[in-house]
Amino acid sequence: MGTEVDRMLRQAVAQIADHLASFLPGLVVSLAIVLAALVAAVLVRIAIVRTLRSLDFDRWAEQLGFGGLMGWQTPPSPTVAMARAAYWLILVIGLLVSLTALNASIPSRLALSAFEYLPHLVAALLILVVGAVAARFLARSVLIGAVNMHIQSARLLSLAVKWLILVLAVAMALDHLAIGRTVLLLAFGILFGGVVLAAALAVGLGARDAVRRAIERQLREPAARPENPIDHV
Amino acid sequence: MASTGSNSSVREPEVAAARTDIALVLTSYNDARTIGPAVRAMRDGLSRHVGSGSARFILVDAGSTDGTEDAARAAAAPSAPIDVARVGPPGLADIPYHGYPRRAAALRTALETAARLQAKACVFVDPGLLVPDAAWTERLLSPVLSGGFDYVSPYYVRRANEGALTRGIVYPMFRALYGVRLRQPAGHEFACSRQLVAYYLEQDFWEFDQADAGVDLWLATAAACGPFRACETALGVRPPPSRDAPTDLGTTLAQVVGALYADLEHRVDVWQRVRGSVAVPLVGAVPTAEVEPVSASLEPLIESFRLGYRELREIWTWVLPPRTIVELRKLADGGAEAFRFDDRLWATIVYDFALGYTMRVMPRDHLLRSLAPIYSGWAASFLLQVGGATTVAVEDRVEQICRAFEAEKRYLISRWRWPERLR
Repeated sequence: MGTEVDRMLRQAVAQIADHLASFLPGLVVSLAIVLAALVAAVLVRIAIVRTLRSLDFDRWAEQLGFGGLMGWQTPPSPTVAMARAAYWLILVIGLLVSLTALNASIPSRLALSAFEYLPHLVAALLILVVGAVAARFLARSVLIGAVNMHIQSARLLSLAVKWLILVLAVAMALDHLAIGRTVLLLAFGILFGGVVLAAALAVGLGARDAVRRAIERQLREPAARPENPIDHV
Repeated sequence: MASTGSNSSVREPEVAAARTDIALVLTSYNDARTIGPAVRAMRDGLSRHVGSGSARFILVDAGSTDGTEDAARAAAAPSAPIDVARVGPPGLADIPYHGYPRRAAALRTALETAARLQAKACVFVDPGLLVPDAAWTERLLSPVLSGGFDYVSPYYVRRANEGALTRGIVYPMFRALYGVRLRQPAGHEFACSRQLVAYYLEQDFWEFDQADAGVDLWLATAAACGPFRACETALGVRPPPSRDAPTDLGTTLAQVVGALYADLEHRVDVWQRVRGSVAVPLVGAVPTAEVEPVSASLEPLIESFRLGYRELREIWTWVLPPRTIVELRKLADGGAEAFRFDDRLWATIVYDFALGYTMRVMPRDHLLRSLAPIYSGWAASFLLQVGGATTVAVEDRVEQICRAFEAEKRYLISRWRWPERLR
């Protein structure tokens, strides 16, 4: 009996030792990968900060309109934010790679699917960045143009353009990531349909006479020019 | 009559073995209504004052479809030969504030033709903008032919409400930068000598982005900065423009001031060395008769400034220092009766925008267009001061503005050299 118990204990210990022996190298490799990723992330962060500061990236980013749109006017600056993004990206990639080294099937599958999703994530991020820049540029164009046309609600127009483009960019990015496609489609249909209907009702009910007068004026007096007290050139 | 034409995008007229003493250049674009009177006026002026034996018309057309060329040929015949060249056709986006598309290519073609003809003097007129008087030919030509001048700039008597952009920005800044007092440096009517024609053709600005809008100004700058003698010639009271301005104030301002700023960027080594300014000789008598002032409400201009301050202040802070913004706020908050733009404040604003343009603090078109409300405010202030004044009083007022620009040039140079320190 005692011998049997001893044999079984020895067998269990041996099995555990075998498992540990087969698992430990993977763990060591995994830890080494995480450590290497950490070192690489720190080095890349330092390199990015130094390079972007030497290129005066903060000023350029502000000119391109990133500062105001993304709340970068207060710390962290665009340079620091970029460095942090790169740092975390490298760290996350390192962690995912380290999971595959553990030889575990579920973490490995998770890592693989995450890698497959990464290009979509980058593309969505690019869509957001381009949308943000376009929104800023067009909003400023509309604001300046509307002020020069003496439109009192210039700011409102500008904000409408800015948010329209931003919302569109966010929707496109989410669609690219395959998040809430049906909901997005419905939401957009309802939102734009509602806006157009509201505008049509507003014009039809509230400003019908004004629109008629404006069209008549355009048709009857095409050559009429507003009084200009000054010849500029 | 030697008349030639072409159908290519840019083709120069054939002037085989021809030579002439005087080249009379006309640029046209759908100007059938005005080209005939313009050619006749120049032809008459030529025969009356100069003699037409060795003169030749050069018409550069930008793709007219209304029979402009035929009208020009009919008006020139039979006394003066006419060479016709075409540039274009223009796209919709190619038409600058003055309404003449591809003007840089047209002037270059005309200059090349004049150089090939070995013309001693070259006169330029844009009949679409102004129909010339018969006396203009002589007034533009004689300083070159008998006065020994290389560049003849027009000088018009104008109403107080005319040419505000020229009086408020172009002339004062041109004078402060290059030290030469040409009061219409962007005029489309001018004359130049053979030496200057050759010099113009060596310049590199023909292909620049703003060339179509700014080439006339750049020709004046090139003459002022080079080893040439410049003068003004009195052309009387400026007639009303014959071509409708197709663009709004923002576009006009962006093109005219953009051309001036581009030139500033291009000639740093010249203007940073220039101090003060010198008057150029004025040829001919300036008419003493007063032009009737035009009375109009200035409230829209002031309101435009106030709206601009309310909505564009944030954009202005990108180029204007805080103390300037404070001054603008005082103006925006004040009443219309006491609406006065200080000359030095105006000069520093124009210089600050020039610096913003050069440093590309934002898209240049945005920056230039955002200047329009401030300019409207300045124009209102200027007209409030000179509304009922005589021509001499208006000129005196412009002189004060120019002195402010000259005085504040130190500020421009300082900010140009150390932009961060003054921020």
